[in-house]
Amino acid sequence: MVKLEAIIQPSRFESVKDALREIGVEGMTVTEVRGHGRQKGHTEVYRGREYTVDLLPKIKLEMVLPDNLVNRVVDTILKSAKTGKIGDGKIFLSRVDEAIRIRNEERGENAL
Amino acid sequence: MRESPTPLSVLGPQAEAERQKIRQQFEAGTSARETLLALCDLADHHVRQIFDEVLRVQDREPEGLCLLALGGYGRRMLFPYSDLDILFLFGSERTEQEFRPLISEFSRTLWDLGFRVSSAGRTLEECKRIEEDNAEFHLALLDRRFLAGDSTLFEKLDEKVLPGSEKQARPFLLAQLHKLTRDRLTRYGNTIFHLEPNVKDSPGGMRDYQAIIWLRQLSEEKKGIRNITAAEEELCASAVDFLSATRCFLHYSNGRNDNTLTYELQEAAAARALGIGDGVARTAADWMRQYFRQARTLNRHLLRYLEQKAPVPLTLRQRLFSAARVSKYDAGDSKYFHIRDGLLEVTDLSALSDRTVTYSLFAEAAGTGTPLSREAERSIGYVLIHPELPPKNTEMCWEKLREILGSDYPGLALRPMQRLGLLTEILPEFGLIDSLVVRDFYHRYTVDEHTLRTIEHLQELADPPDERGAHFIQLWKTVDRRDLLILALLLHDVGKGMPVGNHVTGSLAALDSAAKRLRLSPEEKAEIRSLIEHHLEMSATVQRRDIFDPATVAGFAESVTNLERLQRLCLLTYADIHAVNPEALTPWKAEMLWQLFVATSNYFSRTLDRDRLHAHDEVSLLGRIKACAGDGASNEEIERFLDGFPRRYLAAHSPQEIAAHFSLYRKLSEEPVQTQVTPTQHGFALTLLTPDRPVLFATISGVLAGWGMNINKADAFANAAGIILDTFYFTDLHRTLELNPSEIARFRKCLEDVLNGKSALEPLLKGRVIRGRTPKVTVPTHINFDDSSSAHCTLLEIVTQDHPGLLYEMGSALARQGCNIEVALIDTEGHKAIDVFYLTAQGKKLTPQKQELLREVLQGTLG
Repeated sequence: MVKLEAIIQPSRFESVKDALREIGVEGMTVTEVRGHGRQKGHTEVYRGREYTVDLLPKIKLEMVLPDNLVNRVVDTILKSAKTGKIGDGKIFLSRVDEAIRIRNEERGENAL
Repeated sequence: MRESPTPLSVLGPQAEAERQKIRQQFEAGTSARETLLALCDLADHHVRQIFDEVLRVQDREPEGLCLLALGGYGRRMLFPYSDLDILFLFGSERTEQEFRPLISEFSRTLWDLGFRVSSAGRTLEECKRIEEDNAEFHLALLDRRFLAGDSTLFEKLDEKVLPGSEKQARPFLLAQLHKLTRDRLTRYGNTIFHLEPNVKDSPGGMRDYQAIIWLRQLSEEKKGIRNITAAEEELCASAVDFLSATRCFLHYSNGRNDNTLTYELQEAAAARALGIGDGVARTAADWMRQYFRQARTLNRHLLRYLEQKAPVPLTLRQRLFSAARVSKYDAGDSKYFHIRDGLLEVTDLSALSDRTVTYSLFAEAAGTGTPLSREAERSIGYVLIHPELPPKNTEMCWEKLREILGSDYPGLALRPMQRLGLLTEILPEFGLIDSLVVRDFYHRYTVDEHTLRTIEHLQELADPPDERGAHFIQLWKTVDRRDLLILALLLHDVGKGMPVGNHVTGSLAALDSAAKRLRLSPEEKAEIRSLIEHHLEMSATVQRRDIFDPATVAGFAESVTNLERLQRLCLLTYADIHAVNPEALTPWKAEMLWQLFVATSNYFSRTLDRDRLHAHDEVSLLGRIKACAGDGASNEEIERFLDGFPRRYLAAHSPQEIAAHFSLYRKLSEEPVQTQVTPTQHGFALTLLTPDRPVLFATISGVLAGWGMNINKADAFANAAGIILDTFYFTDLHRTLELNPSEIARFRKCLEDVLNGKSALEPLLKGRVIRGRTPKVTVPTHINFDDSSSAHCTLLEIVTQDHPGLLYEMGSALARQGCNIEVALIDTEGHKAIDVFYLTAQGKKLTPQKQELLREVLQGTLG
């Protein structure tokens, strides 16, 4: 099993969600986050007040996937989240040792 | 001891068969009230039978022991799986000891028969004492009912012991009941609106009813002078019937004392029209609409009782102080009402039949932020439902409604107006969304509640409860025509109550009828229409578009068209998201919304000269101006006047105002300077038309400063023919024009003379000390030049400390440096002046050297 974390542009969230639904991935945790990588922020002035937008709004998706689905999901996110501009985000993958469904104590991929 | 002749093996199935019969009858349509009574009778029968049996088996007489039903069981409202609250009352401690084995046998047998007994035991002596840590017991005792045993003992308790101790403990019990109820309501977020409400404990549930009964009993409400009208009583009874049926249904469906109205059970209740009784299946949303209406009725009654005077007993010292203190009255301007203890109260009840007085009361609440007292609201309610008090002046004109909607606290008027039915009287379209449920896991409130909450979230911006509102405070404070924004909010979701595919279409149809009835001007209607039409656009842009992409901002700005509308739309969006559910507006979303507002607002002020009017294309505008301007005006002449003004000119002025400007324009051939001074809500407006010339803007500002006027806002436009049209909004610091209306003519003459070169400006200024008092708030000066936003001009943005004469100082500095002002936008926020000038020098943008020089000069002037 693999845990996938994707940081994407908020404007791409709907497309990513729809694309994942099409390949049968419905369950995910979505968090509104702020951050930046190479895409630095900028400063905006409004009525004499400076707003430094150094942490840009992003959406973080988290999901744990069975091994056989990982590549497909990654491809789907890449296709649907990409605008080609700086700030499109990143995908992180990490191994998961075990998953346990609390309700019935099912383990492994069955618990996903 | 003798054997029991009726074994459990017989009694148990008998009781179960009876229970099943009652259930079947309920499911076949017997009312909840009858069902609860039947369950109560069944329990009574078995309690008495078992009690007699155990007495007989143990060969005892009941002397010194009696059984009382308490709480809901005492009130004969026993739900299928509720506990039997029973009190064992003993004559003395000795009898308590003696009866202990009997009681344990009795309780065990009842348990085995399927009754859940929740029992307590007290001696008569103990009942005299108030247990301060167990107010619930004393409250349950208020519903006592004799069940079995020594009736003389019960009479002693009921007639001698309790009346005395209850009277003595009344303040304590009232305070405890208030506390317990408040705690319960708080636990459920003080709202009846839950996706899966608990029909017993949630606000609007059966416990609200129980609390009302106890509050009435404790406050010794007499039948004749009830704090509730017959009509309200009837509504309350019907709500209790509905909720009782729902609770019975939940108990039967869950097979236990579980009162949660889950999504699944909402569907099932709707399918059988539970509590409605017509057998016509409904959608879950329709049925929940009924549920919320009933819950609202009960909850409102409870709140009315809770908000009566605090029941806390006063100490002697407090009593002496309150007797010595004169009540604090604030008479205000009205003889019909006053403010007392922070609430608006009616002093002349008979005046309420005149609806003008009633609406003034609401306007006062909305304007001052002072809520109506419950008593005032009840008095209005009383007058509204009594035909023997024929109402006068029932028509609510737009001017009065505007006053309420445009105030700082419109929600304080609209909420009671909705409760009293006045809101739907004025705006029948709002009735379409009364208790309307949007059944998903996102919309927590009914549509009417959501709508009122949007308005309350805006008025909260006067002092926002959390960081989410921080950015929007100033926006709410400075937004123009709040009344249009609030009316748009009241109507924005009305279409959800119509059989239309897209609710926006329905809401727009509702606007058509409301605008006709209220006689809104075409411009007012168009503004509200645009807000309703676009009410989802800003939130969609924030969530689905890249708001840091200039193309997104430009596209959004094009759709919004002007800054004033942007402000209203931003506030509308903020409120609309906020009122969906308490968590819907995350700080993240609030920040994104603000960023889009800032980017779009800056886009507007930086692209002002990009979009100029081509009057020939504005067919409908030309028609409207021609109609307002009257005879003799040709299309060509109007076109010549309008051509080349920035498009913003249309947003800043109504067609009537534009027509008035046009009339002035036509007189320019007779007199080269045309002026007009009109009073406004906060001061005066000066409109001036004249052919462009050097130092014009500075000279006008100078004359205003010379007369002691403080300019708060101004815009300066020029058309293609070089006619400038400046509007200055100023406050008359010394009230010269206000107290001496004849001075207006002298002021205009003075201005015209200075501009025509007939008199000099300097002597005027010498007479004035331009700098005022030392300001309380210091605003640092920001000077920013922007060469990229406009194709022909250099933008100069100045934010600095406001003071009288500021604009004259800036205008003069610009003129001295040979700068021509093509467009100017002047604004003030408290002590902060925010000015944008579109500048050229000899018809071109300012060179970098000139910009630097100007910066130095301005920095020196402004400090």
